[in-house]
Amino acid sequence: MQTINLNQLEKILYHVEKPGRYVGGEHNQILKDWDHIRTHVCLVFPDIYDIGQPNLGLAILYDILNQQPDILAERAFAPWHDLEAQLRENKIPLFSLESKHPLAQFDVIGLSLPYESLYTNALNVLDLAGIPLLASERGSEHPLIIAGGQACFNPEPMADFIDVFLIGEGEEVTLEVIRAFEQLKKAGADRKAILQGLSKIPGVYIPSLYEIHYAQDGIITSLMPSEPWVPDTVTKRIVSQLPPHPTRLIVPNIETVHDRLSIEIMRGCTRGCRFCHAGIVNRPVRERPVSEILQIIEDGLASTGYEEIGLLSLSSSDHTQILELTKAVYEKLHDRKVSVSLPSLRIASFSVELMDELRDIRPGGGFTLAPEAASPRMQAIINKPLDDEVFEETVRTVFEHGWLSLKLYYMIGLPGETMEDVQAILDAGKRVQAIGRQIRGNRVRVHLSVGNFIPKPHTPFQWYPLNSTDELQAKLDLLKTGLHRTGIKLSYNIPDNTLLEAWLSRGDRRFGQVILRAWKLGAKFDAWGENTNMPLWRQAFTEIGLDPDFYAYRERGLDEVLPWDHIHTGVTKVFLKRDLEWSKLGKTRKDCREQCYACGILDAFGKERPVSPLVYWGCP
Amino acid sequence: MSSQSIRIRMTYAKLGNLRFVGHLDLQRVFERALRRTNLPLRYTQGFSPHMRVNLASALPLGFVGQAEQMDFWLDQDIPLNEISSRLLTSLPAELILKDLQMIDNKLPSLQASLLSSEYEILLPAEIDRQALKDQINTLLDQDTLPVQRRKKTVDLKNLILEWQLPSDSPETLLKLSMKSSPLENGRPDEFLELLGIDPADCLVTRTKLFFEEE
Repeated sequence: MQTINLNQLEKILYHVEKPGRYVGGEHNQILKDWDHIRTHVCLVFPDIYDIGQPNLGLAILYDILNQQPDILAERAFAPWHDLEAQLRENKIPLFSLESKHPLAQFDVIGLSLPYESLYTNALNVLDLAGIPLLASERGSEHPLIIAGGQACFNPEPMADFIDVFLIGEGEEVTLEVIRAFEQLKKAGADRKAILQGLSKIPGVYIPSLYEIHYAQDGIITSLMPSEPWVPDTVTKRIVSQLPPHPTRLIVPNIETVHDRLSIEIMRGCTRGCRFCHAGIVNRPVRERPVSEILQIIEDGLASTGYEEIGLLSLSSSDHTQILELTKAVYEKLHDRKVSVSLPSLRIASFSVELMDELRDIRPGGGFTLAPEAASPRMQAIINKPLDDEVFEETVRTVFEHGWLSLKLYYMIGLPGETMEDVQAILDAGKRVQAIGRQIRGNRVRVHLSVGNFIPKPHTPFQWYPLNSTDELQAKLDLLKTGLHRTGIKLSYNIPDNTLLEAWLSRGDRRFGQVILRAWKLGAKFDAWGENTNMPLWRQAFTEIGLDPDFYAYRERGLDEVLPWDHIHTGVTKVFLKRDLEWSKLGKTRKDCREQCYACGILDAFGKERPVSPLVYWGCP
Repeated sequence: MSSQSIRIRMTYAKLGNLRFVGHLDLQRVFERALRRTNLPLRYTQGFSPHMRVNLASALPLGFVGQAEQMDFWLDQDIPLNEISSRLLTSLPAELILKDLQMIDNKLPSLQASLLSSEYEILLPAEIDRQALKDQINTLLDQDTLPVQRRKKTVDLKNLILEWQLPSDSPETLLKLSMKSSPLENGRPDEFLELLGIDPADCLVTRTKLFFEEE
């Protein structure tokens, strides 16, 4: 198989910004002999290298696949505008970083879709690779297009473009799918037969094997497999125990985001915040033991040379051994000039003490807390209760323990929110500033980072409409006006970007045509914040004849068939409805390690729960 | 920490894909490679210590370097062959260790003592050697060769020390020696552009760095 014309590529690279993005050659990259490998997989993260390379999911799959002697996994990313123009002008297909083979020559393309704003980029990547965008237009001569990642819990918006979705955790199912694909191909199966064969693997969703019917008003009437032996619902995959962590991580040659050794210390979260997609889809909680984390640190530093470590989870202070971990990490690293960041800490003085354990090895900068809501009423609605005294005590501890800067995450646009609730955010910011000034004087910096709530699939809030752009703007204006000349910094999201993200995450299969149209009109890099693509998206809706408000601003009926109802996260719809009901009553739930609320996870995965008490699951 | 630091001068080649990694990024690539060696690296003192490394001269993106140089410092005296064997496994495949020497700490920095660089430029096959020779002679007959660098004008003529088009080479090769001091740094790509040649069509290799004799 032929690589792209390397001389031509080199000439082009001379004329683009940061050409190091496109050439690979990093330490720990794996380059296998193409001609002596049976199955060639290209893992594609459809944003630029600087954003995509640090993704831990990509690193995990790269490691798992390349451990197989007869499989190679290479990488590709979306090219920035400058290289894309050059590739199109010179008719060079998009290529992999390692061996520089065109993507179309791989057997399998593994698309990473951790968030929805990558969809147009994903289409752009396939187009740059010269691969037909529609799954229905691809044949045996084209790579099998597999997609996975957190956005795929609602696969429907991308259903027309993807052959195979992997729902849930990819560590086991990815290899199962590739092995089954090899078998089917060897047996001479055509595209259709391959897809039918793969649909038998748990966690695999083949969109072309499902039929969806809509009522006149656009609401789904039925969502069913077209063949009797295809499962009605696809339950996500989980690993019963966190698998070995990759340590031979690729060390980027150019600067990227999160340019550090990232280690997943825990998966899932037991807090049950009702707005949180990650909190539902990543259940159950599984921890990595301290001894294992320490070994990963040792091996990871030796093989990468990184000067910073990130200990990652959805809620780090909830790791049952977090204090032991921070103490041991300090012991291990304090004289090795490695800094350690520990994000996602719960609001409690304990979190500040944890950071104290890391004393001089934590990176400089501020402390971050995420109350998400400020009024007790909103806190009860979202199930993130926060005692005022605990909050103030935590804030006080932060400033007393040496920090000068505190960043607070809040959300606006939450269900049932009034202007008083937004005002409460403002008041909280001022109160924090006053506490800080009392302790540390006028050098104190307070930063409010305000996100716009999006009702995400599979959450108890999935039925709610999005706040209109006008509503969100009014709330932002209240904050901006109120913070004027206070010295408190405010950062926020543009409401139009929120609207786009809501469409993308809440869309049905028909919406795929809007994505395709928007891409054809020039939409891409939708995650890149300037909302310049919005007119294109509106035009795409008009041309396709769908109503944007149907997706974003309509309260969905509790008995409605939702576009993602056939994807099962393990958490039942009954539980979500009950939790919604509780939210409306202002009733909160405890951390579910203290009390089981029967969300469904143990029914779905209890059989996979390891018997060994050494393997920690958060469920009681 | 011992008070005496050991200064190591490394000569290396920068090839292949690594040609597209810029100077600041390369510095970080070296720092991480050095950390992987687990050698007793010297750090600066103070509140936020950083590793002491010192690269001689930035190599423009796309150029091959055959004999680039950098200094780094150790806290302990380690045999050179031990350093070398650790570097071999720690460096990215396209950064190639050529030479290691322990040098006197009192010597001036590489940047401060760099005088000039020697380049070999592989020109596109369609370029006629004799015509190019005439063209270069005509060009250099001018009193000045002003080129624009961001907001200032630089006289390239003053930066070109020597050139030749060796007739014994099968390919069209331009050998060029240019000043490389911090104040007067010649760029071969600018010379190529004056000649109407797109540097992207050439393969430029920096073959040697010349330093002030101590």
